[in-house]
Amino acid sequence: MIKQSPVHFHRMKDMPSTHLLGTGTPMCAGCGGLETLHTMYDILGRKTVFVNAAGCMTLLSVYPFTPFHGGWLYTSMASAPAGAQGVRDAVDILLQKQKLPAEEDVEVVVVTGDGAAYGMGMSATSGAMDRKLDFIYLCYDNEGYGNTGQQYSAATPHAALTSTSKGSHGYPGYKKDLFSIWAAHNPAYVATVIAAEPLDLAKKIEKLQTMTGPRMLISLAPCPTGWDYEPELSVEIGRLAVQTGVWPLKEYVEGEVRHTKVPKQRKPVDDYLKLQGRFKHLFEPHCDEQAIAEIQARVDSYWDKNAAK
Amino acid sequence: MFRIRFHGRGGQGMKTASRILGTAFFKTGYEVQDAPRYGAERRGAPIFAYVRADKSAINERGIISHPDLVVIADDTLVGMPAAGVTQGIDAHTLLLINSHDSASTWQQRLNTEANVLTLSAGEDVADRATLPFISSRCAAAAAALTGVITREIFIEALCEELDHLRQDIIDQNRDIALSEFDDMTVNAGLAKQGGLATASDYVKPDWIALPFESAQISNLAIHAGVTSVKVRTGLWRTMRPVINYPNCSGCAWICSTYCPDGAIKVRTDGYPEIDYEHCKGCLVCVAQCPPHAIESIPEHIARDQEVGETT
Repeated sequence: MIKQSPVHFHRMKDMPSTHLLGTGTPMCAGCGGLETLHTMYDILGRKTVFVNAAGCMTLLSVYPFTPFHGGWLYTSMASAPAGAQGVRDAVDILLQKQKLPAEEDVEVVVVTGDGAAYGMGMSATSGAMDRKLDFIYLCYDNEGYGNTGQQYSAATPHAALTSTSKGSHGYPGYKKDLFSIWAAHNPAYVATVIAAEPLDLAKKIEKLQTMTGPRMLISLAPCPTGWDYEPELSVEIGRLAVQTGVWPLKEYVEGEVRHTKVPKQRKPVDDYLKLQGRFKHLFEPHCDEQAIAEIQARVDSYWDKNAAK
Repeated sequence: MFRIRFHGRGGQGMKTASRILGTAFFKTGYEVQDAPRYGAERRGAPIFAYVRADKSAINERGIISHPDLVVIADDTLVGMPAAGVTQGIDAHTLLLINSHDSASTWQQRLNTEANVLTLSAGEDVADRATLPFISSRCAAAAAALTGVITREIFIEALCEELDHLRQDIIDQNRDIALSEFDDMTVNAGLAKQGGLATASDYVKPDWIALPFESAQISNLAIHAGVTSVKVRTGLWRTMRPVINYPNCSGCAWICSTYCPDGAIKVRTDGYPEIDYEHCKGCLVCVAQCPPHAIESIPEHIARDQEVGETT
């Protein structure tokens, strides 16, 4: 397929003013994942087939309703990249046999939550990257099994309360570094994104459109329902995730990791944590200074190691 | 058997209300079923939970289609067909509506023989999805209306179900629930038990019988795109964002991009326009608008204003 991006994104004003993704989806009000998807879809365009592992976004297409202009395939949690392989192969065969005109070629886009990406679907994803499958993978990471009531996942951050980590210290584990795991496969592209930084997101989509092979995106997806905050704060919390350094925006191309938006003066992690009910126990009734200091130290240590990149 | 349905919006705690009432019944010596309807529950979206309680084993299953008592935490749900609030109500049913309008107004509006009572909680609350303590109040009112649950047992059940919360929050819930229970005691027994349903009494719903068809006919392949716009998610909204155009600086790419649902269009003149059919009322646009030109107003007030403008 002809890989090119028709638009160039230099400033917010360049963001698409018409939206391709249909309204009327059952995603929660203020969904940070939907915000990423709609921006991404605006740029990728109609010639896309979405392969969706079970998760919140499965509800996007509930018969007879769909927000997409094109195809959508539903798979089990672990097998979305395998589904993408099937769609890619089928399209390639049709193109080869000239049963599908070249201009009707499609981009295959996997959409899964963090439950599938960080856990159950990791093996199928690894296999797809081994085979250099030409596809895009979007993981909307709301740091838990959001669709079933926010049980912890391998993406849950340290100390967050989930419905399966209700103790006074929250989740004892640490968020898995999926970016590095994916990058270790040396795919064409890996990036972290967030809808609260639309320009950074748009530039990355623009870039990956010119590439072939596995192109992997992890979008932190602020989740009013699972993280327990007022829906109107979704963008604010997303922006703070970047400004505090909790969610580094970066990309991996040809063996190199580059940070695309380095916070000049990182805000304290408190600013990000205190807006969310899932971290409220760190501030009330007593301030758990030790836990907050640990979270801050991990963020500082990350940036100390990556200062030059 | 008591058959009780709670209707509310996602976030109001109707599941908690049904659990408190169910536990209170159980402690009183009843066999109990209590369950929320499991589905894609979302904040602001209509949800319901139900309780069945009987002195002998309960063989009924599933959704309550002929309730003895219907508790409605938010009166804006009554007009939403998807909420199913009025489903199966008749002269035997008691409706308890949280509303500023009077019981007789509701009786007329619904053209029903059902007995109606009102609960007026949250007169000063703008966002009706966040009415404070509404789950405890609804549970307390329902318990009192049955006339079989004592004050002491009710409070025991409430404290047990809210055990995971902070003590001061439990105390607040208890105090408010108790005053609701006491206020409702004059109506004790108004929620009457319905008779046992037997299979032979079963009346088929008023459905249209369709012949069995193959999947190709009964489950049509839909090739049209973007059919989701037929779903009016605007009904979820409890707060409405309103653009104050004189203050709008026309940077529509901001609100239009940040709106998670893509429910803000950019008009040909460059100004944004909110699609109220689909806007879920998350208010991200209100928070992000650089010149603060979008304000939020309670949906029920916005609707009253619309009615005023058209008449």
